[in-house]
Amino acid sequence: MSRRGSYAQVASGTAAGAGGSLSNAVPARLGAFSQVANSGSPHATHPRLSRSIDADGHHNSMSTSLGRSVPGPSYSSQFGYLKDYGVAHDGATPAFFVPSYLRGSKHAEKLEEVHTARAIAQREYRSTNSSAAGSLSTSSSSANLHKMPSSHRGLTHEIIERAPVFVEEPIAPWPTRWNAADKFPQMEVEDDGRLAKFVGQQKSNDEAASVRTDYPMPRQCGIYYYEVTVVSKGKEGRMIGVGFSGPKVSLNRIPGWEPDSYAYHGDDGQCFSNTTSGKTYGPKFTTLDVVGCGINFRTNTAFFTKNGHFLGTAFRDLKANVPYYPTIGMKKPNETLRANFGQEPFAFDIDKMVQKEKTAIEAEITQAKEICKEELSSDETHFIHSLVRQYLAHDGYVETARAFEEEIHEEERALANTENRETPHVQTEDDLHAIHRQKIRGAILDGDIDKALKHTNAYYPKVLQDNENIYFKLRCRKFIEMICKCNELSSQCHPIPTPPSKRSTASTLNNANTVANRNSTATDEYDFEMELDEQLGVHNGAPWDNSGDDEEEDDEDDMEDKEAKWQELTNKMLQYGMELKTEFANDQRREVKRALEDTFALIAYENVRESTLYPLLEPEGRVPVAEELNSAILVSLGKSSSAALEQLVQQTEALVNELADDGGPGAFINVRRDFLQ
Amino acid sequence: MSSSTVSVSAATPTQHAFHRKWEDIKASKTDINFVVMDYLISEGYPRAAEKFAKEANIQLPLEEESIQARVEIRGAIHAGDIDTAINKINDLNPQILDTDPALHFALLRLQLIELIRRCTASVTSDITPVLNFASSQLAPRAATNAAFLRDLELTMSLLIFLPSDKLEPQLNELLRPTLRREVASKVNEAILTSMGTRGEARMRQLVRLRLWAETKAREAGKDLPPTLDIGLEPEPSNAQANRNTDDDYMVS
Repeated sequence: MSRRGSYAQVASGTAAGAGGSLSNAVPARLGAFSQVANSGSPHATHPRLSRSIDADGHHNSMSTSLGRSVPGPSYSSQFGYLKDYGVAHDGATPAFFVPSYLRGSKHAEKLEEVHTARAIAQREYRSTNSSAAGSLSTSSSSANLHKMPSSHRGLTHEIIERAPVFVEEPIAPWPTRWNAADKFPQMEVEDDGRLAKFVGQQKSNDEAASVRTDYPMPRQCGIYYYEVTVVSKGKEGRMIGVGFSGPKVSLNRIPGWEPDSYAYHGDDGQCFSNTTSGKTYGPKFTTLDVVGCGINFRTNTAFFTKNGHFLGTAFRDLKANVPYYPTIGMKKPNETLRANFGQEPFAFDIDKMVQKEKTAIEAEITQAKEICKEELSSDETHFIHSLVRQYLAHDGYVETARAFEEEIHEEERALANTENRETPHVQTEDDLHAIHRQKIRGAILDGDIDKALKHTNAYYPKVLQDNENIYFKLRCRKFIEMICKCNELSSQCHPIPTPPSKRSTASTLNNANTVANRNSTATDEYDFEMELDEQLGVHNGAPWDNSGDDEEEDDEDDMEDKEAKWQELTNKMLQYGMELKTEFANDQRREVKRALEDTFALIAYENVRESTLYPLLEPEGRVPVAEELNSAILVSLGKSSSAALEQLVQQTEALVNELADDGGPGAFINVRRDFLQ
Repeated sequence: MSSSTVSVSAATPTQHAFHRKWEDIKASKTDINFVVMDYLISEGYPRAAEKFAKEANIQLPLEEESIQARVEIRGAIHAGDIDTAINKINDLNPQILDTDPALHFALLRLQLIELIRRCTASVTSDITPVLNFASSQLAPRAATNAAFLRDLELTMSLLIFLPSDKLEPQLNELLRPTLRREVASKVNEAILTSMGTRGEARMRQLVRLRLWAETKAREAGKDLPPTLDIGLEPEPSNAQANRNTDDDYMVS
């Protein structure tokens, strides 16, 4: 439990501390099927996120770079930021924004996911609190829905169902506002933390008032940039400093004059780091000027801009282990600055700069071709061929593997310029397994779970015994398929006005054809396997799968017939549901309970297609189960559960993560977006 | 890795921390299938692509008309029939070679190598065709570009040494099928680019990214295990017969 102790728990703890009223931010879900639910214990709302904390417990370079931050008022703990979102501010979730230059970056994706998860957790909290217990309100079920993938993940985890996005560790948020708790008293913060104003007495020469933002600039961004507009330079001065500083730097001096403090000053255009003597840098700036400040964490340099013009590198050799907060300081009454942390377009074309950085890195990667030659025994093409070949064989794409082999063979022959290098056509014993696996996968992808179960039991009897969780998921999936079928039928008879229109008939025909087609493609491929099909007899005998018989009946009868069939199917479905529930009723595993609960929630709808739960029924949901079963079979055959190509993708992603944590070049790469799509 | 338990797997103590990190990462099948399909299409394996679309239940990318032509061009270059290849490329789009002198030169040089190979097959053969071809086709181009000139000179020096069993590695390189393969893949890329699609297969970039990232991470002193295995070797593919047939037998 404690390992799974989730984000949500942390969140709820913080929320309880901050808000007081939120004693149960992660409610047990009460529903029609609460007997299935483990209603007492707080669920891990987002196992995905929970793992982030697991990871953190072990080692986490981010926690060393950011987490070491001195207990400053704002980023006081790794999770301190949780309370700033959501509950702390009138229960409203503040608008989430992504600065333009970070759009599409891995870090932005991660942060957005955290944000979404939090919003869902909140919605769930509200809906369970507002709707009467026992009802399945739309919003609560949509919350369930969002959690589906992750709750399933709980079951699989080690194996294949691989969701694209994941959270590895607490994600460092970017600055969003000036921090009212981290400013000198004579500074006032207004307008959602965007506006900072000097109030009160003019300070003596050495003194000033500064303010830092809520969070430091995350190194994982690679480049971080913000801008301020000088709204007013006040009556006489323009002693304004824009820059950044560490969390401990005192706030009664203008930034730039202290250790770990860096700034560009408006009165003389000089830039200051760590000392009171500046160096000539840029022009002076005054009212209505827009001043930008950015750090490139890859090179550990900082730069400024004025009114959209780049002023050059101001500082080098920034420290890698100090969290730098955007900081501004001023010292004359009425001096006012307005910040843009990315909520609005920037004056300077920072997007272009980031893009340039990305392009440079991509060029560097292309150069890796040369390393490739040295490191791999064969050249890149051969390496890739092996990868593809192994992937196709591993995942049971038999026909593809064969065609690929033939085409490669042709290619090799042309290349070899000889006719006599006849490679024997390979038909090893592996092939048979591959065919079985492909057949089982095909059945699942066609929604014919019974067929898949039969085949698996026939060829790999131990697999389902040893992998009860997969067995369970297949059973659940079957239930979902039955619900699907019922709904299909019910949508055909119910919404139609009394005289059935031609359209309905047409759609019936289409449906019937589709079903027929699907079945035939599933079997035609391997007619030499037909025997087994016949033996098993499941394929066409599945009660919910024979909608094609009654095409020729006239509409009235058709209608009645359907109505009756629908009744029958519904009964069967409910009966199956009961069986399923009975079979797994005593299962204490949270994941199992969760999955049952989610599946059963589907029954609550007359027409699921219109509900938010509909995506559960989508055929895409078959893929993870199919892949998981495939992996389990492979494992049972003594093979690795994931193909080399998959391992390569995983490794790549992990390596890039490593390179992004400290703001290195990895920060500019989004493996999935830039390389897999 | 057992899959029989439901519980979340904890890292075994002997496993390197990084290993756990990448085991934790989820790669989506959809993405991987995409990369594979992209590779089959852009590198020109139409039959495999078609089967793959069927078996993996994914959409075959819009029938891209150049694929057959690309397969033929690749075949011609691999077989050393550069004349045919150049004609086919020009049939497809004459702009391709016009706008890429380096590619054109690479093809012509390949043609020259084939010519040299033929003309030096026996000690008594006549090398006049080689000289003619070199002076009419390659020399004018080489005159404008130092790199071309170097390549041409190197290639011509084959004339002196062939036939021979012992060539300098640099010269040997010219006779290996790898060179044809490289040129063929450059041509393929150029055709794809000319059609407005992404030139290079995602798979290649991915493989490079992986190498680049590992190199960088090691440079940066990240805590990594000494080797990062992807498990390609321990599992023999069902058809490794072709694996070692490359590269070497053409030289002999």
